[in-house]
Amino acid sequence: MPNMNERQQEYAIVTRALNREFRVRLKAEGLAASLRNFFAPQHKTVNAVNDLDMQIGAGEIVGFLGPNGAGKTTTLKMLSGLLVPTSGSIDVLGYTPFSRDHAFLRHISLVMGQKQNLWWDLPPVETFAIHRRIYGLTDQQYAERTKELIDMLEISDCLETQTRKLSLGQRMRCELAVSLLHQPKILFLDEPTIGLDILMQKKIRSFLLDYHRRFKPTILLTSHYMDDVAALAQRVIVIDRGNKVFDGYLSDLTHKLHPEKIVSVVLNNGNFICNPEEGCRLIHQDGQHYRLLVERNRVPEIAARLYATGNIADLTIEDPPLEDIIGQLFTAETRNS
Amino acid sequence: MNIFAAGGKLAVLAAYFKIILTYRGMLLIHGLRLLLLPMVLASAWLSIEKAPGNPYTDSDYLLYYLLVPLIMNLTDSRIVFKFSLAVKDGSLNRELLKPFPPLLGYLLESIANNTMQLLYLIPFSFAFWLFVRDRIVLAHLQPSLLIFFVAAILIGWLARLAVSGSIALLSFWIEDVTTLNLILNGGIWALLGGMIVPVATFPERIRYIAELLPYRYMLSFPIEIFSGRLSTPEIYQGFATALLWIIVFSVIMRIIWKCGLKTYTAYGG
Repeated sequence: MPNMNERQQEYAIVTRALNREFRVRLKAEGLAASLRNFFAPQHKTVNAVNDLDMQIGAGEIVGFLGPNGAGKTTTLKMLSGLLVPTSGSIDVLGYTPFSRDHAFLRHISLVMGQKQNLWWDLPPVETFAIHRRIYGLTDQQYAERTKELIDMLEISDCLETQTRKLSLGQRMRCELAVSLLHQPKILFLDEPTIGLDILMQKKIRSFLLDYHRRFKPTILLTSHYMDDVAALAQRVIVIDRGNKVFDGYLSDLTHKLHPEKIVSVVLNNGNFICNPEEGCRLIHQDGQHYRLLVERNRVPEIAARLYATGNIADLTIEDPPLEDIIGQLFTAETRNS
Repeated sequence: MNIFAAGGKLAVLAAYFKIILTYRGMLLIHGLRLLLLPMVLASAWLSIEKAPGNPYTDSDYLLYYLLVPLIMNLTDSRIVFKFSLAVKDGSLNRELLKPFPPLLGYLLESIANNTMQLLYLIPFSFAFWLFVRDRIVLAHLQPSLLIFFVAAILIGWLARLAVSGSIALLSFWIEDVTTLNLILNGGIWALLGGMIVPVATFPERIRYIAELLPYRYMLSFPIEIFSGRLSTPEIYQGFATALLWIIVFSVIMRIIWKCGLKTYTAYGG
């Protein structure tokens, strides 16, 4: 058995048979139902997270995926110590999160919306100063880290504006800055790019990648934007209705659910015959532009045939959109299989 | 000061001062709220005929209601409103994720609010005093009495914070605790704390009950000390009763907090 230090180096987060139930009050439509409910309230128990086992290594970036109500945020809240599990165990950096030990809280950050860390009525620069005192940063640490984060996130122009008056993108970047000021070992990101325009989403992604490269925090990320997941996480954990349905590399998930690649080709002239017996299927044609679904192991062969025609204006080979793959994971057929 | 500065307490206190300074209009409105009702009650008591045996003269009523807004403010706490909102909108999550005692923030906020409120209340009270000073007797005031007065305000504030805090923490189970607060910490406080009628003018049995409950110590008790109406043993007895209530409600708060966190669903973000 490894001792605690060895285990901590191995895994930053370990959960075993983690469960969280919620008791939800029910009420049917109508006045009679309201009256009945007043005297005899009806409840049901919802399993938000069900027997979740996971191990996340120190320094990993893991995408935590699932449809709405799958239990992603509930899990993040349990891992950060906000929620008590109904049963099961959690070990984060050797701590039990719900004990809310200050030593534990100094090593984590949870970014959930834009009001998690910023003081709404004060400018971000004031939040930074308060954060510095709460986390006991030295003058040098504070000066270096604020400069670095302000530069990386390009927020120098909004530091002295009251937080409630900042734009969504500015708030999100300031929120990230304050969350990282104490250099947490674990960063929980719940929809960090939600509501942001594409340009801002890209900025946040590239910042997170850069930050991770330099400081190697463990990052657990939930996002409905698959571009976030594809750009940041190699490994994904997919949960649905509280149950883990996949845990592995993103590429494995793609191979498992979508054993084809999409080949897009634009021909100068003439046409191209796609034969299903050769593992190739035409999914769309617009004039000389063909979109083909080709079995992964047949892609080199089909590409070679296309090049051999000497008639290609453009050729691209790509994986199907991640949204489609994840969507496929949650279809009834997949669940049943 | 170092103990106070440690762990960001001073920074958080300063932050609350800064927030209050940002919303000056709100400060003025709260100041008016604290002044209005005591002024109305003072004029009512001065205009009606006193019952036989009432120990309060017009001069006593004037001094009493001159001090009521100040004591109301200095022992005020908005923890019920703030905490129930934090549970509902999920902003309590923010407090729970910081290496900083979450409930300490409400105490620091109360210090900032109550101190800043004096910016309005002291000039108003001074102006009121100038207007009625010929009718108020302060010859009995001794330094020792002033020390007891300040200590009684401090204890009254802690008692109000502990009682209000216990009600506020019920937000973990009850969606709207403001009505409960209106009954326990508004209505009963106004009656038995001495806001509507000075406790010293209560019939004997009711006065006995008021002296046993915590509410008197949040308002009437410091004024009774300032007015020179209490002997030294009565003052000590009052302090002991108030401290006992503070301990009782602090224990209640601790129990509710521990149980409440286990049921907290952390909705919102």
